[in-house]
Amino acid sequence: MLQRIIWNNRGEFLEGLLVTAQISLIGIAVAMGVGLVICLSRMYCRPLRCLAILYIEFCRSTPIYVQLMWVNYVWPELFGWPQSFFAAGWAALALQSSGYLAETFRSGIEGVARGQREAALSTGLSPFLTMRWVILPQAVLMMTPSLMNQFLVVVKSSCLVSVIAVPDLMYRGLRLTSIWFEPIEILSFTAFLYVAIVFALSAAIKSYSDRVRSRYA
Amino acid sequence: MAGDWPQVVTGSLFWEYRRILLSGLFVNFYVFFLAALLAVTMGLLACLARLSPWRTTRWCGTFYAELCRNTPEYVLLIWVHFVPPLVLSLLLKTKVTFSPLVSAVVALGLASSGYFTETFRAGIQSIPRGHVEAAHSTGMSGYLTFRYVVMPQAVRKMLPESLNQFISLLKSTTLISLIAVPDLMYQVSMITQEQMRPMPLYSGAAIAYFVIILSLAALVRRFSESWRAVGRA
Repeated sequence: MLQRIIWNNRGEFLEGLLVTAQISLIGIAVAMGVGLVICLSRMYCRPLRCLAILYIEFCRSTPIYVQLMWVNYVWPELFGWPQSFFAAGWAALALQSSGYLAETFRSGIEGVARGQREAALSTGLSPFLTMRWVILPQAVLMMTPSLMNQFLVVVKSSCLVSVIAVPDLMYRGLRLTSIWFEPIEILSFTAFLYVAIVFALSAAIKSYSDRVRSRYA
Repeated sequence: MAGDWPQVVTGSLFWEYRRILLSGLFVNFYVFFLAALLAVTMGLLACLARLSPWRTTRWCGTFYAELCRNTPEYVLLIWVHFVPPLVLSLLLKTKVTFSPLVSAVVALGLASSGYFTETFRAGIQSIPRGHVEAAHSTGMSGYLTFRYVVMPQAVRKMLPESLNQFISLLKSTTLISLIAVPDLMYQVSMITQEQMRPMPLYSGAAIAYFVIILSLAALVRRFSESWRAVGRA
């Protein structure tokens, strides 16, 4: 039974996993870029500050499913983009995460003691060099765990893109269910795959951040 | 296509259907309350299991919490809606189906109970062991110690985190439209199919959730700050 349904369809599941991995990685990468820009404009650019805060609050307090639908149905009409479901999927994931990441970046940068910055500036380093060599190395170390946790959140919410017909793992699971009419095996196996992936990722993140903490804090 | 901005701004279509949409929002909150009840109950049970003196019980509690926390809500929702009824049907030899509302409450409740388990455990374990020992040595029973020494302090510690969990639970109630529970997003998609104008409706829904959740989050922040202040005093 298991062999017939699961093993013979391993190609489907693998391809689904691949799409899930792709969309999550693209989503978090774009979110990091956008989040950094938003964070910097919130911290260092007075006129954009209000807009940046509004953006962050919007991203953080709208449910991901609502954002997905909004991006998928409204953006093409407003901006003429995205034209594919895949793009809409990663854009929604990135939208959600960029708000959280902007705050992560900000708390990381603000978490570096003030004295460090002042000391660097008073030894004659330019603001850019101070940022590059004094603040960022420390900030990055501190925010890596929350960055990774955000990636975990993206992987978890990426199953929603199946709703807009992106052929990820969940989509394949649902499609196989409607072909074979065996929801017990197929859906349980799909859920098991998700649990296994998320559990493995979160265990890895936990051990990494414990190591960082014990070494540097 | 890019000339439709006024529609978003005025949101007239959203206003036209306000009654249906409000009833959908009501369903959101209804499911939220039931799921929150389930989540807190299961979270307490699992937390007690995790703190119990027997290893097997502890292990079960941990397994349960990890399982709930690591499953994406949507996957859990679909699984609960389709698999357990079928298994029950096979076992009982009669046809069992879950109504979408039941599946929604169960799935969201379970998903969020994993987080509550951790919150409760962290709250209880943050009470210094000395307090419990002091209470015991003054002759208080285990129950009295828990009720009058551990609980008052633990609740104060876990309240801010729990309120945040409630907000995430409210956010995830938007998923229930996917198994045809008539919530706000479900009504929005129905009206969209009728009117073929997704822009004002989905934008309106996004703005509505934004306003509701942002104000709730602000309230929570306010509350938890005053709670923390009380805890310090």
